[in-house]
Amino acid sequence: MKLLRILEKDDMEISISNLKKIYGDYAAADLALLTIPSGESFGLVGNNGAGKTTLFRCVLDLIEPDEGLVTIGDTSTSGNDSWKHFTGSFLDEGFLIGHLLPEEYFNFIASIHGITKTDLQAKLDEFEHLFNGEILGGKKLIRDLSKGNQKKVGIAASLVFDPKVLVLDEPFANLDPSTQIRLKELLRNLKDDHGVTMLISSHDLSHVTEVCERVVLLEKGKIINDIRTSDGTLEELENYFASV
Amino acid sequence: MNSLWLIIRNDWRESVRSPIWHRRAVINALMVLMFVYLAANFLALGMVMDNILMAIPMDEVTYKSHGISWVLQRLNRLLLYYIMLDFTVRYFMQKLPALSIRPLLHLPIKRSQLANFMLVKSIWNPFNLFHFLLFIPFTIEVFSNLPFASALGWSASFFLLIYTNNFLLLLVKRTSEINSGIYIGLLVVVFAIFILGWFDIVDFMALSGRLFDILFQHPWTAAIPLIFISITYYSNFRFLRANMYLQRLSKFRESKVTYVGNGILSRFGMVGKLTELEFKLIWRNKRPKSVLLITILFLGYGLLAFTTNDFVDMKWIYLLFSLIITGMFIMNYGQYLLGWEGSHFDHVLTRNVSFEEYYMSKFTLFTLVSLAAMICSIPYVYFGYEVLLTIFCVFLFNIGINTFVVMFFGSFNPKKIDLTKGTVMNMQGVGAAQFILVIPVMGLPVLFYMLGSFLWGDQVGILLVGAIGVLGLAGTRFWISLLAKWLHNQRYEIAEDFRKG
Repeated sequence: MKLLRILEKDDMEISISNLKKIYGDYAAADLALLTIPSGESFGLVGNNGAGKTTLFRCVLDLIEPDEGLVTIGDTSTSGNDSWKHFTGSFLDEGFLIGHLLPEEYFNFIASIHGITKTDLQAKLDEFEHLFNGEILGGKKLIRDLSKGNQKKVGIAASLVFDPKVLVLDEPFANLDPSTQIRLKELLRNLKDDHGVTMLISSHDLSHVTEVCERVVLLEKGKIINDIRTSDGTLEELENYFASV
Repeated sequence: MNSLWLIIRNDWRESVRSPIWHRRAVINALMVLMFVYLAANFLALGMVMDNILMAIPMDEVTYKSHGISWVLQRLNRLLLYYIMLDFTVRYFMQKLPALSIRPLLHLPIKRSQLANFMLVKSIWNPFNLFHFLLFIPFTIEVFSNLPFASALGWSASFFLLIYTNNFLLLLVKRTSEINSGIYIGLLVVVFAIFILGWFDIVDFMALSGRLFDILFQHPWTAAIPLIFISITYYSNFRFLRANMYLQRLSKFRESKVTYVGNGILSRFGMVGKLTELEFKLIWRNKRPKSVLLITILFLGYGLLAFTTNDFVDMKWIYLLFSLIITGMFIMNYGQYLLGWEGSHFDHVLTRNVSFEEYYMSKFTLFTLVSLAAMICSIPYVYFGYEVLLTIFCVFLFNIGINTFVVMFFGSFNPKKIDLTKGTVMNMQGVGAAQFILVIPVMGLPVLFYMLGSFLWGDQVGILLVGAIGVLGLAGTRFWISLLAKWLHNQRYEIAEDFRKG
């Protein structure tokens, strides 16, 4: 019985059904059914205004859909806080507390998740190659950091408590090439070694095909294409975007 | 010529299209009304200025001045003070004009042109225009009664000096952003003037009278203020031209990190952690910090009431003063409750903290600050134990009822507050709720007091207020859950508003 519950608990399937969000006469999200199985690394691509951020915000219960439901592991994300315990997310600066030092922000996030200082330190050491010495030990508040460094802080903060589900909007944008490569490595490890369910969006088609085993193409809130990543995926995507 | 037009159009569009201008029509209308009201006041004051001047008790002059009316002589003796006062007010209130030149910097526009534009624009600052309203009626009188050349020399000198103040202030504020030593220099000057005046080393009144009488009698001396204004203008100009690329300094200056209560409150569970986080917010940002400083300042507010016997028949007034002493922070900080965290509200919504814990931490914050104010007010017992009892009962009411009332108002249609912006004349976050708030917060306790004292006497009235507060405290969990439910229902709308700015 106990074993069963653990199994249930670890099922982090994200299911988006009948989701509709309409602004005026423009549909920002219009999805019949999208299921992301537990442990899948899922990528979202689309031009500006395709509805990527809207979809992410609906998943994280930040905006109210006109219709439809998002569930993570069988519980609705709306009106239920349980998913917040195991879901790490970073969409934009609205997720960062600007007047804190990066360390203080990590400390706070770790402490509300009941993570000890030593465990946090171990985690931050892991991220050190991602930070490239620019984040920790400085005297700069988060709001005074560059966009790229803010992004590093946000991504790291979404990971310090070992989330089972990870939602990142444009994680590669504004990052320098070295960090992009390291982040890709980190995300692949999270999937392979920890079975983290991932929702990632990107404008960079090669990044998303490298990291994600499945890529969905979004246009005007609708799914245009749903691809298992293979060697030909990048070309397929490039052809699509060139012809739009 | 073309590029000047571009600068003006860019500046105009920036102010007309600012989102604040569009989104809060009521507040803007109120601001305009207030502006008109103030302007009318200054104009009215200007019209009766000669009567006021004649009513001020002043010693007879000890020197001879020819051809000057007695009223003007009196005014002249005060003008130096007036100009010093003007500078002081400007120092605290006037902001550097914010022309966003960054988008223009890479365009083929001369830097000197930008600098000139920024400086000329400051001429229309209200801090300059109010002087005209105040002095034009009097100036007309001077012109109609006294020799034209003298009147012209005197009035030109005066307004030139006012504008010298304007440019001097801009210079001080601009340079002090790079070199903080300016502040110390300014302090030394202020201190020196104070010492000179206090020990009667310099009679500023006589000096002022002398100087302005000379400006009147010898119109050519108006060249001196002209030199002053030229120097200050040119210094500004040079500074701006040289530091145009440093203009980011006012906007992107890095904040200093100050540490507060590292980890002390964190030991008290989730609520403690959140409370500590909020103390950091208050301590590291100008506007919330000034709320805290005002709270400390108003601890002394009671002295105004308790030292006089004027209110013996109106004991409820003591109640109002006590409300301010321990409730200042609750009202002042709490009215923007969610707005303070507007810039990271998506974080608030996605972290694993329940709304109950969230509100509980706000309540804890209010209780802690209010309790600190209560403890600091114990010396008021000097004015009788009844005074202390009043403060204590009102304190109970503040934390038992007002915290929850204020938290509700602060959660009602909140507006985002940009923490990086300063305090002065900052109306960001003000909405209808902030105006109505004071009615229940100040009205309810007075009502309960009057009821109690009418039925059973003054003492019982006071105790009733305290008892109601205790009753409110007993229901803390219930109120908090109501607030959490409210936030739960409104979270999408509030977050959407905050994202828009």
